[in-house]
Amino acid sequence: MAAVLQTFEAAAAAPTAGRKRKSNHSKAKKPSKKFKRTHMVADKHRQPSNKMKKLFRKRAREYHSDEEEGVDEELPADPSSDEEENGEKDLYVGDYGGGDSEGDEEEHEEGGQHGITRFLEGCRAFKVAFAKIMKKHLQDDPLGPVLSAHKKLVAEKLADEDSEQKMKGETKKLKQSVSIIIIIIIIFSGHVKPDTFLDAKEKLLISIATKGVVKLFNAVSKAQNSLNSSSSKDAKALAKRRKQAFFSELQKPTTQISDSSKRNSNEPGWAPLRESYMLTNTKLKDWDKMAVSGKRMNNSPTPFFIYFFYGLSKSFASASRRLLIDIFLFCTQEPSAEIGAEKVLSDSSSEEE
Amino acid sequence: MARFNHKKRRGLVKPPVVKNQPTVDQITGQKIPKSFVFSRGRLPGPVRQLELDLRKLMLPHTALKLKEKKRNKLKDFLNVAGPMGVTHFLMLSYPMSSPHLRVARTPQGPTLTFEVQEYSLAADIARSQSRPSYPKELCDNSPLIVLSGFGGGDQHLKLTTIMFQNIFPAIDINTVKLSTCRRIVLLNYNSETKLIDFRHYSIRLQPVGVTRRIRKFVQKHEIPDLRNLKDVSEFVTRVGYGSESEADEESATVDLASDIGRVNRASNKSAVRLQEIGPRMTLRLVKIEEGLCSGNVIFTEFGKEVENAHPETQEE
Repeated sequence: MAAVLQTFEAAAAAPTAGRKRKSNHSKAKKPSKKFKRTHMVADKHRQPSNKMKKLFRKRAREYHSDEEEGVDEELPADPSSDEEENGEKDLYVGDYGGGDSEGDEEEHEEGGQHGITRFLEGCRAFKVAFAKIMKKHLQDDPLGPVLSAHKKLVAEKLADEDSEQKMKGETKKLKQSVSIIIIIIIIFSGHVKPDTFLDAKEKLLISIATKGVVKLFNAVSKAQNSLNSSSSKDAKALAKRRKQAFFSELQKPTTQISDSSKRNSNEPGWAPLRESYMLTNTKLKDWDKMAVSGKRMNNSPTPFFIYFFYGLSKSFASASRRLLIDIFLFCTQEPSAEIGAEKVLSDSSSEEE
Repeated sequence: MARFNHKKRRGLVKPPVVKNQPTVDQITGQKIPKSFVFSRGRLPGPVRQLELDLRKLMLPHTALKLKEKKRNKLKDFLNVAGPMGVTHFLMLSYPMSSPHLRVARTPQGPTLTFEVQEYSLAADIARSQSRPSYPKELCDNSPLIVLSGFGGGDQHLKLTTIMFQNIFPAIDINTVKLSTCRRIVLLNYNSETKLIDFRHYSIRLQPVGVTRRIRKFVQKHEIPDLRNLKDVSEFVTRVGYGSESEADEESATVDLASDIGRVNRASNKSAVRLQEIGPRMTLRLVKIEEGLCSGNVIFTEFGKEVENAHPETQEE
């Protein structure tokens, strides 16, 4: 750039040894004076014709006048669209680029004229463009002060990349979530949680199982009853005796009780009053040997009282309940004997309390 | 196992009592079948829970806390099974995103492979019930087994029935105590869909003819509330409304041979009520092999092309 100006200056100043030019130029071209005329010696060898000199002068004048006019023209043209300016700038840039290259060539004599004309235009264009750029506010871009077109392109590229990345990220997440869902579905595919517990199918299955169990139990009971006839006899005998005792008790309630208190070893009529009641085949077989509050009682005629005394232990409580069961069973089986049951119950309840 | 026991010693520590389980059933004289329930390969969460439920089902003749490591192969289990008297393996695996159950008889017995199409865990079933109950005593005895619908003479069905019958110890009708029969396993074969329904119930016996209040009073140690009654006899004789399931109980009544519990007495009618516990499975028989997960394939579900499609999963 400096070299270009220099050469121009040299070219402009060379034909004019006159001070006029210099004086005219002095105001406008003060900074140009800094550039030394290094090319003066070289340029002296080739001296253009007078016609050329005149042409040069004309051109110089044009150039200088354009600069001022250009400045004036620029001001009203500012509000014009940026695109036009950019377009113009592009043009100028392009021209400048062309001018630069031409300027390089301009050192050769051949095509020197063409080079100069184009060079002049390029220079002018460059000046205008440069001024425009300096005037325009630059946005603080991360891209930096880049020429507009490139900036646009780069910005677009970045935006595209961003959007692409976002898309990729989203799709990735989507894919991941979908894959997770699929995996979960696959894992839990066989797992069924029953909503309604008993639907028809389940009821059917339960009934099948029940039938099987019933068959089995009946078979077992048949087999065991036939084999162990002795044990069954005991149970029946016990039941029979209980029934007998109960009926007898109904007829003679008071005498029975008084008799039972007197009789020790003779078995009383009513089953609970017997010594062997609930003491065979149950946990209470050796109840008197169990350590309960230190007291040990000998065989007493009425185990019922004893149960009352040692009501703390569980087994005795169960024994009392067992007693109640007997009574209840009697009630369920023989509703006619309700009155007797009532009495027995009242006795037992009063005694327990 | 900690090298240095940092725990405080609190008094005398009793050595744990190890029950020596008999290998031979004293009554029947037959060998009591024992089983291992383990997994081959990595199982997802619910299937692991299913494995634990199956272990509970097979109690008491199984290792409840069987420790299996990833590097244990089938050979390791076989080596242990010999001296311990384990006769059956129940293996859960998870190939191709559906659980499979293999039932095999050691040491060289046949292997039945089932595909578990649907399953429900014991916890799910307990959640869906209004009154779930699982007393500890249920696990003290082996369950009974009921096989229904297998009637056909197909070879593979027969083999299935035999296999399942042998997994659980046999009971002798003459000597069995009915109080020990607390659980039942049902295997129902549906010949149309060729699916086997696997269910696990607990047995409860209730006396027939006894009103609910009395029964409850006797069963639990609760003193009833008598303040509204004028007389105790009302407590005994009041007719309460019968539950809707009592009609079903008529067919399910049993004459008991002996006393069971506190309520059920011998030679009195009792009703059998079942409550579902334990896992619920729908199985489909896929493959039967002659050896223990190896050997000749006796039966496949689909045909010849399946033998290539179902390769043996790597032993883990």
